[in-house]
Amino acid sequence: MMAATRPAPMAFWQSLGPFHRIVVALSLALVALAVLAPWAAPFAPTDQSLMSRFKPPYGFDGAKDGFFLGTDELGRDLLSRCIWGLRLTLSLAFLGTAVGLLIGATLGLLAGVTGGWTEAAIMAAVDMQIAIPFTLVALFLLSMLGTSTLVMVLVLGIAGWEQYARIIGAETRRLMAMPFVEAARAAGATPARIAGVHLLPNLVSPIVVQMTLSFSNIILLESSLSFLGLGVQPPTATLGAMVGVGRDYMPNAPWIVLAPSLLILSVTFVVQVLGDLARDRADVRLRRR
Amino acid sequence: MTRLMTATAMALILASPALATEITVVAANLAPYVDPGRDHSNVGSQFYFNSFDPLIHKDYSKVEQEWQPGLATEWKLIEPTVMELKLREGVTFHNGEAMTADDVVFSLNRMFQATFPPYQVRQRDRLANFDRAEKIDDLTVRVIARQEEPLWETLLNLQQLFILPMDYTMGLTGDPKVAEDTDFEAFSLAPVGTGPYKVTEFVPSEKLVWERFDGFWGDKAPLDKVTVIHVPEVASRLTALKTGEADIATNIAPDQLAQIEADADLKAEGMLTPLFHVMIMNQNHPKLKDARIRQALSLAIDRDALNEALWLGKSLVPDSHTYEEFGALYMPELKTFSYDPVKAKALLAEAGYDGFEVTFDTQGSYYTNGLLAAQAITEMWGAVGIKASIRDLPKWSGNDPEMMTRNWSNPMYFADPFGSFGVMWAPGGPSESEGRFNTDDAYKAAWEKFRFGKTVDERKVAYAELMGFHQAEPAVLPLYRPYESWAMRKGVMWKPKAGHIPYVLDFRAGSVTVE
Repeated sequence: MMAATRPAPMAFWQSLGPFHRIVVALSLALVALAVLAPWAAPFAPTDQSLMSRFKPPYGFDGAKDGFFLGTDELGRDLLSRCIWGLRLTLSLAFLGTAVGLLIGATLGLLAGVTGGWTEAAIMAAVDMQIAIPFTLVALFLLSMLGTSTLVMVLVLGIAGWEQYARIIGAETRRLMAMPFVEAARAAGATPARIAGVHLLPNLVSPIVVQMTLSFSNIILLESSLSFLGLGVQPPTATLGAMVGVGRDYMPNAPWIVLAPSLLILSVTFVVQVLGDLARDRADVRLRRR
Repeated sequence: MTRLMTATAMALILASPALATEITVVAANLAPYVDPGRDHSNVGSQFYFNSFDPLIHKDYSKVEQEWQPGLATEWKLIEPTVMELKLREGVTFHNGEAMTADDVVFSLNRMFQATFPPYQVRQRDRLANFDRAEKIDDLTVRVIARQEEPLWETLLNLQQLFILPMDYTMGLTGDPKVAEDTDFEAFSLAPVGTGPYKVTEFVPSEKLVWERFDGFWGDKAPLDKVTVIHVPEVASRLTALKTGEADIATNIAPDQLAQIEADADLKAEGMLTPLFHVMIMNQNHPKLKDARIRQALSLAIDRDALNEALWLGKSLVPDSHTYEEFGALYMPELKTFSYDPVKAKALLAEAGYDGFEVTFDTQGSYYTNGLLAAQAITEMWGAVGIKASIRDLPKWSGNDPEMMTRNWSNPMYFADPFGSFGVMWAPGGPSESEGRFNTDDAYKAAWEKFRFGKTVDERKVAYAELMGFHQAEPAVLPLYRPYESWAMRKGVMWKPKAGHIPYVLDFRAGSVTVE
């Protein structure tokens, strides 16, 4: 009863061990940094000062006041570009995840509710998507349709839909045999109503778990596409694009590559740990132990 | 000690004939085809000189034009518009065919009376004054010009007039007695010439292999084999050099020079390459039709800042489309191009610029510092209030009506204003034929005077007039003459020669030695 009186976030925080507390704090900090980029970044991400290119970060010889992480190949502030890059990378990942969820959940529910040849067709598409190396598909789509943010979001969305469809399809099929669905159907509910009102609420936890897991995959995919030069166009920064450009200067200015790389590393790490945490909490069998 | 040295010397003497001299070049760009006639790119120019010869050679070690016998041993004007050339005896092509007047007439007329569209562009932009070539006997040909030609040797020395074998080329596809377009397409994938190296393997845009051609008429090639591999990223090229995979790396930006100097095994050779990196503007794009907008785009670019920052001040910012190499025709006093952001803003306001987006096209690593310059330029446009964005495209977009602005280069194909500006901005030349530049009768008249003027002064007056047209209706801004560097192993003795067109990888006798 004590737990119920405390606000939910507090209860959640108290239930965590020290490691998870660090990770949760870090994730909040990263999201805050991304959301508050216009205020958090000391400079605009495209502000150049051509005469101070390749200035190293603080603590190294030749560092320039005001440029904490140093400057890049056009004298832009690396810290500001990292913050703006994080913002764009996270936004693309969120939107990509949302698109993937929308496609995957719709098709998964459709498959589970209708069954028959619809289900067979959808599951065949899922198997096909799993069988094809997705980076190749992404490269193909981006080179056909051109590199715009919209195309990028769609590509990132298509990247993960099959996982949602498979999990939701299987779960829906299981739920369809449950007595409460049976009862709803007997009461004359339409399939759409059954899917929306009776099934979806029961699918929330597997969906949340899958979202966190695919989120970091999407970040990595976005990074590799941008690294290959197929992401957003310069001078706009995403973390992957910064790594891609920075590799030319690795021997003389390694910080240009290191800063965004470390950010990608921490974001994917944090999201993975949160995903694990969510799965542990959601899975009844694990919770009992 | 003496014995040890003798032993070492003996070992070296014994070993050296067995060691074939082979080098590997990692190049920023590799051509999709190899045909000296249709090509005038900075990519192709790397390759032709080793495998082909012109009728008239020159001393490539210096800027001044000192002509030397090539595939022709003598030449003289027999009429004001007719030149007769005696051909060299005993020249064989890489495929074993002997070179005769037929091959020379075929090679020249495929350009002079071009039917293959890529040749037609070159014919119009630089060879338009040549009517035809004729065979007199097996070792004598005549070249007939339409009007008196002030630049005979210069033009007969051009890469576009290198000689190739007739029977081989015509026999590649279809009827072996007829030169079809498909023959030229096929030739460009399996090129054969008379030069000291034959192309033994060519994978378009990926790899080209030369081997010494033992039947070469001149001094034999110093290297047994040269492999050129396409490696677009500068970091990968330098890594290949450091690991010993490669011996020479092309297109090294000044940013990387310190790193090469710090390496005891490597060195860099560089020069102010005779070409301009330029920014071009599409006169026919609906949004850029107003000349004031284009003037503003040009005036807003601080070229000195680009040079200081991206080239460490090693490049050269020109006042007009002119090179010191032109001698009497060098005209820096014209001040055609300048930096004036205040005037740029005023012109934009006057033209009623409504904030539409100007796109700047560039092609990844094609030009050294190209993508960096693109970003710096769009930022400079931003500073005068122009909204700009970059399109990093995998291909040339100069013929795309959607193209608004982009980077390009205007190489100096020969030391005359006609050899750089004249070729690129000729009436009907590459810029006009791609639909992004217009000429009117006044421009054409001035161009004729500049091209064929009898005196230096007449040509200079006409040139100043042409520069005036470009100031009033801008289509091009020369950014700088870049300082290009090649990095190499210390054991490789090679450097770019001042008398070549840009980027030529000259591995002929006397140009390279390898330890």
